Amino acid sequence: MILFLRLSTLLLLATAALAQRRVEFNRDVRPILSDKCFLCHGPDAVNRKIPLRLDSEAAAKADLGNRRAIVEGNPKLSGLMHRITAEKTAVRMPPAYSGLKLSPEEVETLRTWIAQGARWEKHWAFNPPRRAEPPAVKQRGWVRNPIDAFILARLERAALAPSSEAAKETLLRRVSLDLTGVAPSPDEMDAFLKDRSANAYEKAVDRLLGSPRYGERMAARWLDAARYADTNGYQYDGERVMWRWRDWVIDAFNRNQRFDQFTLEQVAGDLLPARRLDQVIATGFNRNHRGNTEDGIIPEEYRVEYVVDRVETTSTVFLGLTLGCARCHNHKYDPFTQKEFYQLFAYFNNVPEMGRAMKYGNSPPLVPAPTADQEGAQKRLQQRIDALERIVNGHATPASWTETAHWRLSSGLDAWFPFDQAENTTAGVFDKAGVFDGTAAPEFAGVAAYDIGDHFTLSAWVKPEGAGGAPPANGAIVSRMADTARGKGIGLYLREGKLHFHITSNYNDDAIRMESEGKVPAGDWHHVAVTYNGSVAASGAQFYIDGRAVKAVVSQDTLYRPFRNAGSRFREPFLIGAGGGKENRFRGAIDEVLLYGRALSSEEVEAVAARSATPGSSRLRWSYLSTDAPLEIREAWGELHRVRREKEKLERSFPTVMVMGEMETPRQTHLLLRGAYDKPGEAVASGVPESLHKMPAGAPANRLGLAQWLISKENPLMARVTVNRFWQMYFGTGLVKTVEDFGVQGEWPTHPELLDWLATEFVRTGWDVKAMQKLIVTSATYRQSSKATPELIQKDPENRLLARMSRVRLPAEMIRDQMLHAAGLLSEKIGGPSVKPYQPDGLWKELTMQDSDYVLSQGEDLYRRSLYTFWKRTVSPPMMMNFDSSMRESCTVRESRTNTPLQALNLMNDVTFLEAARRVGERMMREGGASPDQRLGYGFRLLLARYPAAEERKILAGSLSYHLDYFATKPERVDAYLTQGASPIAAGLDRRELAAYASVASLIVNLDEAVNRE
Amino acid sequence: MNEITRRHFFAKSATGLGLAALGSLLPGEAQARGGLGGLPHFAPKAKRVIYLFQHGAPSQLDLFDYKPELAKLRGVDLPASIRMGQRLTGMTAYQTTFPTAPSIFKFAQHGSSGMWLSELLPHTAKAADHLCLVKSMHTEAINHDPAVTFFQTGFQLAGRPSIGSWLSYGLGSESEDLPAFVVMVSQGKGNAQALADRQWASGFLPTRYQGVKFRSGADPVLFLSDPSGYSTEARRRFLDDLAQMNQVKLREYQDPEIATRIAQYEMAFRMQASVPELADLSKEPESTFELYGEDSRTPGTYAANCILARRLAERGVRFIQLFHRGWDQHGNLPADIKKQCVQTDQPSAALVLDLQRRGMLEDTLVVWGGEFGRTVYSQGTLTETNYGRDHHPRCFSMWLAGGGIKGGMSYGETDEFSYNIAGNPVDVHDLHATILHCLGVDHTKLTYKFQGRHYRLTDVHGRVVKDLLA
Repeated sequence: MILFLRLSTLLLLATAALAQRRVEFNRDVRPILSDKCFLCHGPDAVNRKIPLRLDSEAAAKADLGNRRAIVEGNPKLSGLMHRITAEKTAVRMPPAYSGLKLSPEEVETLRTWIAQGARWEKHWAFNPPRRAEPPAVKQRGWVRNPIDAFILARLERAALAPSSEAAKETLLRRVSLDLTGVAPSPDEMDAFLKDRSANAYEKAVDRLLGSPRYGERMAARWLDAARYADTNGYQYDGERVMWRWRDWVIDAFNRNQRFDQFTLEQVAGDLLPARRLDQVIATGFNRNHRGNTEDGIIPEEYRVEYVVDRVETTSTVFLGLTLGCARCHNHKYDPFTQKEFYQLFAYFNNVPEMGRAMKYGNSPPLVPAPTADQEGAQKRLQQRIDALERIVNGHATPASWTETAHWRLSSGLDAWFPFDQAENTTAGVFDKAGVFDGTAAPEFAGVAAYDIGDHFTLSAWVKPEGAGGAPPANGAIVSRMADTARGKGIGLYLREGKLHFHITSNYNDDAIRMESEGKVPAGDWHHVAVTYNGSVAASGAQFYIDGRAVKAVVSQDTLYRPFRNAGSRFREPFLIGAGGGKENRFRGAIDEVLLYGRALSSEEVEAVAARSATPGSSRLRWSYLSTDAPLEIREAWGELHRVRREKEKLERSFPTVMVMGEMETPRQTHLLLRGAYDKPGEAVASGVPESLHKMPAGAPANRLGLAQWLISKENPLMARVTVNRFWQMYFGTGLVKTVEDFGVQGEWPTHPELLDWLATEFVRTGWDVKAMQKLIVTSATYRQSSKATPELIQKDPENRLLARMSRVRLPAEMIRDQMLHAAGLLSEKIGGPSVKPYQPDGLWKELTMQDSDYVLSQGEDLYRRSLYTFWKRTVSPPMMMNFDSSMRESCTVRESRTNTPLQALNLMNDVTFLEAARRVGERMMREGGASPDQRLGYGFRLLLARYPAAEERKILAGSLSYHLDYFATKPERVDAYLTQGASPIAAGLDRRELAAYASVASLIVNLDEAVNRE
Repeated sequence: MNEITRRHFFAKSATGLGLAALGSLLPGEAQARGGLGGLPHFAPKAKRVIYLFQHGAPSQLDLFDYKPELAKLRGVDLPASIRMGQRLTGMTAYQTTFPTAPSIFKFAQHGSSGMWLSELLPHTAKAADHLCLVKSMHTEAINHDPAVTFFQTGFQLAGRPSIGSWLSYGLGSESEDLPAFVVMVSQGKGNAQALADRQWASGFLPTRYQGVKFRSGADPVLFLSDPSGYSTEARRRFLDDLAQMNQVKLREYQDPEIATRIAQYEMAFRMQASVPELADLSKEPESTFELYGEDSRTPGTYAANCILARRLAERGVRFIQLFHRGWDQHGNLPADIKKQCVQTDQPSAALVLDLQRRGMLEDTLVVWGGEFGRTVYSQGTLTETNYGRDHHPRCFSMWLAGGGIKGGMSYGETDEFSYNIAGNPVDVHDLHATILHCLGVDHTKLTYKFQGRHYRLTDVHGRVVKDLLA
């Protein structure tokens, strides 16, 4: 193997033609200096033992007291050459302990460069793209668009010729997979083959770009970059709900949103003036990072990680820079200081968030994000409410009307305790009231089973013991909690006259605790209430005393775990006059306890708290409408309440999405020493790195300003980085191979002029994403055959020069999707909650905690496109992982492909592919024609979009006849083999034959061609 | 470089040779898949590692770190001079007192070195002369997930390659029909914390280096078994047809990846035979089950996995990692740790002795330990018979045995509360550097360039703890 390695190195060197061509600093020299020298002689001073710096021209050529590292034109006088060629290990650079080594070729490059004058250049990626004219080429007839001129010029320099155009069938399969993620159907293929017009291919491309499948295809890679997942990650890895953001991405690609606007909305949609809901949803991009919910974490440690993640993701995706390297120290290679890292950090540091994520569901800040259907339903209900209100409001209460029976708000009432039949009673507000002497308290099982995400209202009349405003006794008014001092549950207490409201999962760090500013005087009847809207935050609770809202002082606001949690139940009874331990019993009288399963409005609380219906009061009006108004008005009134509850129910069912937000008072950002959350250094303000372009004039000093800076025409990086990722989608490798790193350690572009031309073209066309895809896929370069020759493999093993089209292994999701598509199983439904298709049993249970098990989806949801597959971070879908999907732990932009035995097992034996093969077998028999040869050809075409060649037909026929015999020998094999997946086995087909055809379909599924785009 | 090598290999071999020759080329393929040029950096002592990860963090105070003086301090609040304001987890940070909880278990000296071990580990005690007990481990992480991630990847946040991936990347596989890095998970009897597939993922290394999880049951490797009704003979025929079809394609396209895919299907077929054979313990003699204990007859238990670990080691698997869950004893520690030890003590010791008897301990490195230690003070109420212990990253114990490691020694000291290290600290990076050293790998030289940086398992840290080496 070593022999081959040497051979290839030599070949590469020969083609690079080092000796003859001028050495270019950016292409040839800086990568060596950066990779081998900057660690100690670069931007970061920490390792610099002597003042020599090689990352700046002035420093590298400076006189260091009779010695100069680099003397232009003279390698012999250059100290650098002496040090890198020294015989003695102790003198030679790089030092042995660094583990770095210069190859003889690298030494020669440096020598030649110095000899040629040691010309310095600014790092190419920090210069604005230069739009060069497409170069002149010899084989002009081959060029379809400017891309081809750049590619061909480079090929001609290397004395290579482009390949011929791929066969029509290959081409349509290629572009269909690339633009929509699924292969063409036989009908689509036939239409294309029949179309002899000159622009048949362009028409097909336009059709594909117009397909809703296009947005899904483009979104798949964006989800990798945005580390999208359906769970929080870290240890507990509870579910979150971010699919509304995912659907926003699909939609943005489908409506061809300009890429600059796409960027602006995701980075700062929440800060746009007159923002729409969809623009706020877009900011979910920066909330897709992991969230830690582990018991016992130090929240600030993880809050800092979230902010760091945003900086790293933003810099990778929009700048192609590894700014995360400057978190702990100045960047070792690129001109970014640690302080600049924290200046960027400051933009993302003002989110009103907690370091501890919600154990289940979304963590604030979040917004309800109804789907279009839900918004429609909401609108219809509102119209109905408006109509009913008009009817009701059109009927006045007679002036003389008075309340005869005690009215009670019944809408949403869960429980009512009037105490009129109680044992120990006294005169109450309405009839009798319960007497509480600090000992016994009534218990009610199964009442008020509210959890931390529920909406509810607790309302009661109280007469605390004591007289004349003296401090009343401490005690619980109502509760549903463990009857211990710091017990788990919900409680409304009275303490020294103040109302206290607690929601406690763990008293120390998982609770809401708040008390009223106003007091409840002792010795007389007063109404008290608290409403709570399920927001899992103190801001969602409101105290009322005697029907008036009172302010609260919040002492704890860190709730994150529900009472029913990780398999544990919560069965405490509802208590009146008790809760929170024996010392916490109420003394006095309580009357008319009402529990509502919704947060009452202030007007409703006022009506509930009114002792009598005074003229003009809501209570009088409502009392009349519900008891004594004409029948049709009473019915309308009842209906109004019903529809209002229905609307509330609908609104509560809205999915939410985590979004960005800004705190009113921004956090002070500090440089963190060694990147540690608990080692703040100097205070820093938001700002962008010095060595990049300037902030646009007038941009605000917040995230919106940062977004404007990213999309600014002056940004040398965003357009380049973006078109380079597009390029990678089609050719398997970017023009800059290191798609994630355009810094000095990144790879020099294979076609720098082409990269710049594409970048400027992207901006020139108004960041038109579809136009850019069309430009690439209609180029002659893209349309080449992907067949290689031994010579081409020798000369250009990685196909960087593109004398042929790359043959690329399909991404994981595409492998599954196109097999389901061929089987006629793939669902066309776009968007919605993530789904759980087949995966082997027990995978979640083995690793997670007891209450999370994988529950298989049903029906259509078993066959949705793979980008809708539920992504659990700690136990990722195994098929996706086998085929190199990104882990979705953090931002991933580089596509990776391996070739392993686990992939073989997966395609051969996973029910997903066996069921698909059976369905293809059914289609062969039903739709394929009469003869076995026709049927096999049809199945082949369903999966590979072409007819088999004669040699292939022979092998397929051999396989079919083998399997017919195989299943005939032991008929019991037939049903065993066919029973795969949830879809029924087609009736009316010979099962033995079906099993044989299904086996051959499985063979085709497993072909290398089936998992490759040629 | 590896990529190019492999491509060239197939460009040379597969295109020129017929299908029949491919089978015999597979050992060559295995070598080509394995290892970087220049590795190992020096003669290794160990060829493979069996890492027995005790997930949840076992209490060093009740197993290894004998503190007889603590008996006198029972219930006494942990002195501030010991705590030194160190951070505590959110679970005990609110406790008003930190009552010292001496272990209720008895300790005795074992082996020629007089190693102190708890009565909970009677079998481990018998292997004492093979063990190198490190009592001065410490870590930076205080919560499970980051702490396990740190041990697995050298970094607290997910995303970097696990140690097994690094080693299979650097050293390759010695097995032609098994993956280089195999993981097995077993369930304990105590409080279990969640684990994650990414703990054996390959991070930014190609996914072929990820750990392959072996499970108990019909499919020890996911998707291993052919569908019902489909025989091995049928699969063989299927693969022959498949290879023929792929050969047609290879001739036409000359893509070396097609040859690789043909080879990978052959490897898959061999795994279909070798893995069930490996997982089938029915041919193990009775003495094996006696050695590893009664549990070892039940597939999926830690004990059965220990036997499998030995069988994997025999077949040349490079990095074998067992995770046993259930060590997170915040409360009810005495009862729960006893159950965990009943499950793990005998098989862990049996594995060491078994390897030794087979002459394999010399070149197999066995590592036993969790992700951090536990506090000397009681979490929750301390009674005569009961206490709990919170997470403690500042000192804890692990043991190593075999390939390249000095047996029969205890290393490192902790203070009288087993709260701080008093001498010879060993951190996670040091442990990694030492493990790599035993395998002939210089931890500063096993690197992978990603995002412009030369990453390594030990980041910019780590030193080989020479005192532990034989």
